[in-house]
Amino acid sequence: MRIRAPKDFWSGVMFCGFAVVGILAARGYSLGSAGKMGPGYFPLLLGLVLAGLGAILIARSIAVDGEPLARFHLPPLAVVVVAVCLFGAMIEPLGLVLSLAVLTLLSAAAGPPFRPLEAIALTAALIVLSVGIFVYALGLPINVWPSL
Amino acid sequence: MDVISNLGLGFTVALTLQNIAYCFIGVLLGTIIGVLPGIGPVTTVAVLLPISFTMQPESALILLAGIYYGAQYGGSTTAILVNIPGEASSVVTTIDGHQMALQGRAGPALGIAALGSFFAGSMATLLIALAAPPLAAIALQFGPAEYFSLMVCGLIAAVVLARGSLVKAIAMVVLGLLLGLVGSDVNSGIRRFSFGMTGLADGIEFVALSMAIYGIAEVVYNLEKQRAASVVSAAVGRVWPSLADLRICTGAILRGTSLGAILGVLPGGGALLAAFAAYTLEKNVARPPRRFGHGDIRGVAAPESANNAGAQTSFIPMLTLGIPGNPTMAMMIGALMIHGIAPGPRVMTDRPGLFWGLIASMWLGNLMLVVLNLPMVGVWVRLLRVPYRLLYPAIIVFCCIGVYAINSKPFDAFVMAFFAVFGYVAIKLDCEPAPLILGFVLGPMMEENLRRALLISRGDPMVFVEEPISLAFLLVAAGLLLVLAAPAIRVRREEALKE
Repeated sequence: MRIRAPKDFWSGVMFCGFAVVGILAARGYSLGSAGKMGPGYFPLLLGLVLAGLGAILIARSIAVDGEPLARFHLPPLAVVVVAVCLFGAMIEPLGLVLSLAVLTLLSAAAGPPFRPLEAIALTAALIVLSVGIFVYALGLPINVWPSL
Repeated sequence: MDVISNLGLGFTVALTLQNIAYCFIGVLLGTIIGVLPGIGPVTTVAVLLPISFTMQPESALILLAGIYYGAQYGGSTTAILVNIPGEASSVVTTIDGHQMALQGRAGPALGIAALGSFFAGSMATLLIALAAPPLAAIALQFGPAEYFSLMVCGLIAAVVLARGSLVKAIAMVVLGLLLGLVGSDVNSGIRRFSFGMTGLADGIEFVALSMAIYGIAEVVYNLEKQRAASVVSAAVGRVWPSLADLRICTGAILRGTSLGAILGVLPGGGALLAAFAAYTLEKNVARPPRRFGHGDIRGVAAPESANNAGAQTSFIPMLTLGIPGNPTMAMMIGALMIHGIAPGPRVMTDRPGLFWGLIASMWLGNLMLVVLNLPMVGVWVRLLRVPYRLLYPAIIVFCCIGVYAINSKPFDAFVMAFFAVFGYVAIKLDCEPAPLILGFVLGPMMEENLRRALLISRGDPMVFVEEPISLAFLLVAAGLLLVLAAPAIRVRREEALKE
């Protein structure tokens, strides 16, 4: 047995994965009946449909030829995702200015031509702009400086 | 005539100096936050809600409404120029609008979006004035079975829109519905799919999900392509569309406006569904069938007209029935209640100045928006000259601040990071994210209506085919699916999408 359409195959695996998580979690909620639906009824229904669709994709990927998998470029994704998570971790204890400095410098480093001076200038500009728009103009309740 | 005297009363309210000023502030703020990715009208309206307590109820609603429909204008600007829908309802505008920008036709795309929106806004305002009472009566007759079938129909229509595999698109819809159920169940109070995380108690934040997919994942995807694929470096050019463009778009604008106006009235419809449906309709009826998905100007004109018409007419159920069609309308109801006004059918008769004043202000606001938007496009030209390596960190920064600001919850940044990875994988696997977003929005409403419909019918699923309106929606959905599944048409669809 050979996988003839890797893109479809892995899509199917992904949908089945979500379906399994959904169905397993939904088992813990009472099902009820059609006339008196419990919190588990609709999620279970959706989980089963999703699993079915994933299975169709997997079956088709073995029967019919399809596109090969595209190359995954992991470094930029990893750097940006880490930057976003760091922002989430830093925003409340350390405030907007420091969080944005880390976020912007890391984000700039994710792209190929990293120019340190330009990145620092960009960081400064974005911090001023963001504090101006979000904190002063829109008055959103965001810590600007570390709260000690 | 009633309508004229009613509108006359409306304009006497809307044209006071104070209310003109609030209307202007509203549409200006709306345009700005519509342009800024990561901060939408819901956040802005929420932030302004406590402030609106100090105003007259008329002024408060005029201001908040201006933010909502103003954002529809601003949202299309980022959709076209940077491929980020400033608003969920501008998602489909990215498809053809951004392609136009890549081809150096950003100017006409922005122009037709503004003109189409103005026409749709004016028509929708007139429609509300003429038809609010009878239309409300129609919507009043819709039961849960009808709503459920309507949503099925809307979701199937979204599948038609997706590129590539039908099965993948339907799977994305179902996954979206499932993600929409995360959080506390309104009926049992049970926290579903929170996996022990208190941050998921209120569900997955819509802004986090959409920014993750259309902001972060898109940025990462573009980074590996080396060239600045997502941002236009070419000139915007003339903003006014040519006569040929206008002629082509007349039908699209008229169809988009009509469809948007109808879908806007239905709760659960509104601007988002209107834009999706209008794009789908246009792709199927427009002649000559040109290159939809690759920069067809009608692919901008139709959804932009529709989302504005839908945004406008979605006030009808809110004002006449007290039913919010979307989160922004829920905020409006909150604003009414702060002022001690019970939302419902009696607002129209008890507070005619409020009802008709709001409607008159909408037309006024739409006029301001065109004047505000077309000349201001010149400001965005400068943004386009910025190289991508300077622009993408800014996109990430606005997404992060926006996702934090909406609930002041750092946890939402982690949610966004998670779905950024998911979005990247989905793009790589050719799974279109638009159906997922639509499914996500409709998930909770769909469950609620299914529950109610089956409760009324005592568990008999036949209720969906026994009610004629519900049956009609389901037949349309089934027809769409059958047509798409037919092999001959599927091949043609793939060719058309590939072009």
